[in-house]
Amino acid sequence: MPRTSDASLLNQEPYVKYRNIGMKFGDTEVMKGINFDILSGEKVAMIGPSGSGKTTLARMLMTLEKPTEGTIEIGGKLLWHRRANGKLVDANLKHLRQVRGQIGMVFQQYNLFPHMTILRNVMEAQVHVLGLTKKEAEDRARKILKKVGLEHKCDAYPAQLSGGQQQRVAMARAVVMKPKIMLFDEVTSALDPELVGEVLEVIREIAEEDEMAMLLITHEMAFARDIADRVVFMADGQIIEQGPPEQIFNYPQHQRTKNFLSRFSTEFH
Amino acid sequence: MWSWDFAISILPQLLQAMVVTIEATIVGFIVATVLGLFWTICRRSSIKPLKFAVVAIVEFVRSTPLLVQLYFIFFVFPTFGITLSPFSAGVLGLGLHYSTYLTEVFRTGIDSIPKGQWEASTALNLSKIKVWTHVIMPQAIPPIIPMLGNYFIVMFKETPLLSAISIVEMVQAAQIIGSNSFRYVEAFTDVGVIFLLLSYPASLLFQYTERRIQHRFDLSVKASKIEEDHYATNK
Repeated sequence: MPRTSDASLLNQEPYVKYRNIGMKFGDTEVMKGINFDILSGEKVAMIGPSGSGKTTLARMLMTLEKPTEGTIEIGGKLLWHRRANGKLVDANLKHLRQVRGQIGMVFQQYNLFPHMTILRNVMEAQVHVLGLTKKEAEDRARKILKKVGLEHKCDAYPAQLSGGQQQRVAMARAVVMKPKIMLFDEVTSALDPELVGEVLEVIREIAEEDEMAMLLITHEMAFARDIADRVVFMADGQIIEQGPPEQIFNYPQHQRTKNFLSRFSTEFH
Repeated sequence: MWSWDFAISILPQLLQAMVVTIEATIVGFIVATVLGLFWTICRRSSIKPLKFAVVAIVEFVRSTPLLVQLYFIFFVFPTFGITLSPFSAGVLGLGLHYSTYLTEVFRTGIDSIPKGQWEASTALNLSKIKVWTHVIMPQAIPPIIPMLGNYFIVMFKETPLLSAISIVEMVQAAQIIGSNSFRYVEAFTDVGVIFLLLSYPASLLFQYTERRIQHRFDLSVKASKIEEDHYATNK
């Protein structure tokens, strides 16, 4: 698997740019002054204790939560804002829809549409967003469902599937839209331990075959180390340290990183 | 006292009036559904003035008697240049009044949709209209069908109020028969029986759909259970 070297990290224009991001819930400031980049095709794993703001960062990019401060740029376009007469103004829905077409997301709770068959779940946005014909959408849906090993479940409903299977469908549904960046928000956290493997396997496959960038929020340290080009450690709404997986896992610089990783140490020995 | 012959002889007249009752119920319910959905969507709107206006209208209509509203639409609207036939005024009044109850029912249905469904729709970049028509409504409606059915029957039983604006529905027809023949017992007994014969089967029908919906949900849960067991035994 290609690993982004440090040199290219410096030279390449980032695909996603978080600039000076802050987040307040009421009076509580949970995040402040975050700057964070993701390169095209880069696989970034984000680790850290719960409530450290990893999910919030991903949700901001998916336009599910608006940062109270700062800007996000994706593919050279502002996400939450647009420029009018040299000033930044809030973007309207039309602008959001235009820009977020590049982004896909898989959730912890799968969030499949329970009233649609598996096949229709994967077809729906292809038809209504990409404007494909039903025939094209179905062909692509069947192909991708085959890839995640669920072609025999096309006519089943989500409730008839196990958690791991549902999560694989959710991935197929997101990947079939061919986003430039995919966000995985703790996609294995709701699963029974014996179902985690099948889901990670699908992510690994997507990561290896696809050009798309990935932001993987996870507690599966061994997996993060395995597939990520870069690992980011977050705590208390701040990025504490980041770097290649070998560096973060083997030679963490900060005490907080060391403390956090020590809880997972059995995984590495 | 009681004459079977008379009770039967007035049936054609009453059944004719029954058609009016049923028409008023169905058209009124369609108006109530459309308006109710409209209120529900306005109340969720991000445009504050629209939201408050609709909340005010809904509260106002719900807190005033249907009879007053019917009188107002039929007798007062013409002074503003809006003259409606008794039937139009009647179904508008019924529909408007019940829309304020139905909007609550729709709200319950929509609120029961997990947040994740909205978020998944955003992540797939579906348009607002597609989110409503393809994701939210198909899930929000089935569980509230029993409640909608209940209001349908309540509304059906409220149609005699329409006699106040000169619509000859069943009760008004019975009134006319009674005052012409002085045989009120047969006339109103017939009306009571017809109401019973219509609303009881209707309520059974709604109970049946409720059970079927329940059944469907049970089925999907059972199916996943069956599959889990299947996996467990085949390991």
